[in-house]
Amino acid sequence: MESPDTFTLLPLNLDPSSATKPVTVSGISSNALVTELDALNKLHAQLLSVDTSTKTPPPPVPVNPKRSAAIGKLRESGNVEFRKANYPGAVNYYGLAIQMALGRPHWEPSGLVREEVSGLLSNRAQANMAQQNWAEGAVDAEASVEMKKVANAKGWWRRGKCLLEMGRLEEAEIWVKQGLEYEATEQDLVQLKEEIEAKKRK
Amino acid sequence: MWPFGAVDWLTLTVPFAYIFVLTGSLAVFSSLYRKRKAANAASLEPWFPPHLQRNIYLSLLHQESPKVPDSYLKAALLRRATEDIHRIVQIRNAKGALQVLLQRGSVGDDLWQRFQRAEKEIEEELRDVVNEANAFAPNWGQTIFQSASEMAQNTQIRDRLTDILATSSSEKEWWEKRKAAIQSDFMKELDEEKKGPITEAERNSSVSSAKPVPRMGSDDDAVIVEGGGPAEKAAKAKKKGKGKN
Repeated sequence: MESPDTFTLLPLNLDPSSATKPVTVSGISSNALVTELDALNKLHAQLLSVDTSTKTPPPPVPVNPKRSAAIGKLRESGNVEFRKANYPGAVNYYGLAIQMALGRPHWEPSGLVREEVSGLLSNRAQANMAQQNWAEGAVDAEASVEMKKVANAKGWWRRGKCLLEMGRLEEAEIWVKQGLEYEATEQDLVQLKEEIEAKKRK
Repeated sequence: MWPFGAVDWLTLTVPFAYIFVLTGSLAVFSSLYRKRKAANAASLEPWFPPHLQRNIYLSLLHQESPKVPDSYLKAALLRRATEDIHRIVQIRNAKGALQVLLQRGSVGDDLWQRFQRAEKEIEEELRDVVNEANAFAPNWGQTIFQSASEMAQNTQIRDRLTDILATSSSEKEWWEKRKAAIQSDFMKELDEEKKGPITEAERNSSVSSAKPVPRMGSDDDAVIVEGGGPAEKAAKAKKKGKGKN
């Protein structure tokens, strides 16, 4: 980094009429600079829709309740479809809810996003499993666990189960063992482990 | 009245000149020494690469014709704060380890100097960002780093998630192929069973004789062959079939 009093002047151009790329660089440009300017332009577009008086992002808490309500609604619809045994519909709704949750402005609390997305992915994994889409279920459950490792026994169990169903016993065993490190007392996981071991012995 | 006439001015200049020369040389030495030290520290490789976001922000800020609207500057400042968060995290993570290494003598003094310089720079940088933020909106300085920290984290979790979810299609493809393979095996098995009802014992013997097993008579070998043989696959496939209905 340069000393606090100096900086490198970059040949930047501003064209406010352009919708997607108002800030561009002229002349020689590095890859990093172009990506950075892309991110900047995107952030700028996001910032324009902020409804604070100063047009600066509000502090992370409290969260704008509108989006939370919309996500909750989509999740409910998914649950209803799931109960009606319309599994593709449920997957669809959960997918929409996940997109909604990931579409939160980036300055909103990341912990909240993790929480929401983890639950939704876990639900989608279940809906996929109900249709015997083991591969999709496994990926969803893995993503769910990645978002929230602790207190996510269902996520751990679901991927384990999917791997078992696909006959990937080695992977399933390692996965469930990992899960048990976080959720040692979870009955379902212990059972699944025994099931896998029984299958392996055969 | 002081007897001015009694003072011998000429001899008095000698001690004064002595003091002057002494302090002067000390001052020259100290300033030279400090300059040299600063130059040394500056010549060391910086800890971090150039701060791209800061350069962008300042370039935008210094554009004269036309002036860049505030909204762009705010976005650029937020990007800059996010990069600062990354750097602070790196500094904090490195500090403990570096101190231990320095105590053990595993790393040189140069590295420590570079680190300290980076630490100082980042402090300056944070102060600067807070000031700039407060200039845009009152009290934004207090929350800009909270927002920036969430932005850094959010970007990270979205990247992770995209990576994982991107495997979905390849996983699905793999499973489709695998399923097809299992099913065709099962169908073959069915065909064989249709051709002629073979008893369990006969099939065992036929399978084990078909494969070049060194010790054919041993019990263990028979079990292994049966485990890998089509019997198990058929059982598995049957289970799959049952699940689907």
